[in-house]
Amino acid sequence: MALSFLAFGSRTTTGLLWLTVINLALLLVFRYGFIFLRREIKVFLWQTAIIVSLYMLRFGWIDGFKQGAMISWQLSLAYMPGVIFIKTTPQPRIVETFSAVAPYRAAFVMATCFKFIPLILTEIRNIYEGQVFRGAKILRRDLLNPCNWPDLVFCLALPVIIRSMNLAGEITLAAKARNFGFKKKRTCWPGI
Amino acid sequence: MDPVVRIKNYSYAYPDTTKFAIRNINLDIEPGQCHCVSGPTGSGKTTLGLAIKGLLPPGNEEGRITGVCATDDGGTDIGIVLQNPEIQILASSIGAEIAFGLENLCVDPATMPTKVREALDAVGLDRPMEYETASLSMGQKYRLILASHLVMNPRLLILDEPAGQMDPDGLKKLLKVIQALKNTGMSFLLFEHNHEFLTEIIDAYWHLDSEGYFRAGCLKMSDYDPSMSGSPGRGKPGATDRKVVSARKLTVSGADGSPIFSDLFLKVAKGQRVTVYGPNGAGKTTLLRCLAGFVQASAGDVMIFGKKPIPGNLRGRVGCLFQNPQQQLFENTVYDEVAFPLKRFGKKGTAMASKVDETLNMCEIGDLAGFSPHKLSYGQKHLVALASVLAADPELLLLDDPFAGLDQSRCELILNLLSRLNQDKDLTVIWACHHPQMFSGWADLEFFMERGKIVAHSS
Repeated sequence: MALSFLAFGSRTTTGLLWLTVINLALLLVFRYGFIFLRREIKVFLWQTAIIVSLYMLRFGWIDGFKQGAMISWQLSLAYMPGVIFIKTTPQPRIVETFSAVAPYRAAFVMATCFKFIPLILTEIRNIYEGQVFRGAKILRRDLLNPCNWPDLVFCLALPVIIRSMNLAGEITLAAKARNFGFKKKRTCWPGI
Repeated sequence: MDPVVRIKNYSYAYPDTTKFAIRNINLDIEPGQCHCVSGPTGSGKTTLGLAIKGLLPPGNEEGRITGVCATDDGGTDIGIVLQNPEIQILASSIGAEIAFGLENLCVDPATMPTKVREALDAVGLDRPMEYETASLSMGQKYRLILASHLVMNPRLLILDEPAGQMDPDGLKKLLKVIQALKNTGMSFLLFEHNHEFLTEIIDAYWHLDSEGYFRAGCLKMSDYDPSMSGSPGRGKPGATDRKVVSARKLTVSGADGSPIFSDLFLKVAKGQRVTVYGPNGAGKTTLLRCLAGFVQASAGDVMIFGKKPIPGNLRGRVGCLFQNPQQQLFENTVYDEVAFPLKRFGKKGTAMASKVDETLNMCEIGDLAGFSPHKLSYGQKHLVALASVLAADPELLLLDDPFAGLDQSRCELILNLLSRLNQDKDLTVIWACHHPQMFSGWADLEFFMERGKIVAHSS
């Protein structure tokens, strides 16, 4: 958390370089290979491309590039410690950590949200592919035309929101089925 | 012997509704017994399970459920395993998953590993405690959830449709586990409409009808009768001339480079009915996604209608239904939902209206045209999703086990419908599923996939 806040606070290249070195060191310490960071790197590259383009449009080629790249770098460094923490820490430890700053129910929700991201992505993929064959204009090339953007909202975003709400209800039920929330406190799995 | 649970004249209606979801339930479950409740999709089986566990929201309740021991930690000594194991697994390692219930009961962490190991042994899951839950097969995940309830020492375990998600091998292993636990005096209540797989462990049968009424006995769950769906697909004349799908040495690899399936040969002619069986994780979904053009082959060739599959070019010719097809519904009425693909493919006015009516009537949901699809029952949503795909008159239908969990009568309705379309319009169907018994005699071609290979096929 401290590293993420520092990333937002750093205004100089030197500061961001130091934070980058610390993040890389964390990756090494946790033996977390770059191969597993492919998705994050992809997100970083897309984010950089979008932010830099927008800044260049607003502030001109050179100034825009510098400022856009700096903001994108900061955002990635704010995001990276969280990714490393989530991917290297067992879920009970995450709940325990969040419990130090939030009620345990909220801590459980935060920790469990991360666990279900892959499942939600699979659900999004299934909905997307099914809708394409029903005629929804949501393929990448379709979305180059802004007239097709409403399809993205109605055919994909809306079903995904409905599905996510249902999923949240089902996860809550599954947790309650194992007596979650019956007591005011919980203990924590020691890990093996 | 005192029953573990006694349900006396119990009825329940959800909040804000006047209609009872379940009515006048009377049931005693004694130690070591296994009861099975069957009934059509949406008849209230899950509601009954949640009522016994005490997880229903406060609604209109009549009668009572007794014998459920409230434990001194505030819980009950009843466990309930819900339908989808994927959603119930909350932790990333199997040790942490099983310990979740113990954490909620405030059990001393020092005693947890022993209890967790005992629960793992009881379900025959021989894996280290730090083993990742994501790496387990569907059958193993189900047994993991079972262990995560066993660790809390329940006297009664409720299993909601265990056969819905598991392949036959996973079910066999589950049966052994249940039998062993029954011998220790644990009671079971199964909610399952495909209970033919479970007969050897069941002591008593009950049936919940579509109105929520409860009675002893069960409907005869006969094998699927091909005569119900018109003539069977086998030997359909002229079915081998025009190729719809051809794949040669087709290989698809995962993100880590290891093959999901490899060297696969497949030829499907227009108008053929094809079923692809295989256990969970065999590669069936990836195969269908590859045929639809959403997954690129890492080696070999695949052709759909004589061309490489590109989703944009297959729109209107291919229909696709994946698992949980009701997820794709988004319109305000059933009519609009079915009209959506027709509008997109250029139909307008009376031509569109008559096509929507025809499709709705064909799927026997004509009376639901004005209803919101989101407020329909589970089974009805499936039929709306199917209608919304069939309305566009696809030439090839790819089905990835979309009807798992539906009751026998709805499955028969869907098989009848697809058979009619197959005969009248030469619709080609490729249907992936994990229960071969479902379509015995229905398909022209049957493939069996295992560990990324087609290990057997019949034609």
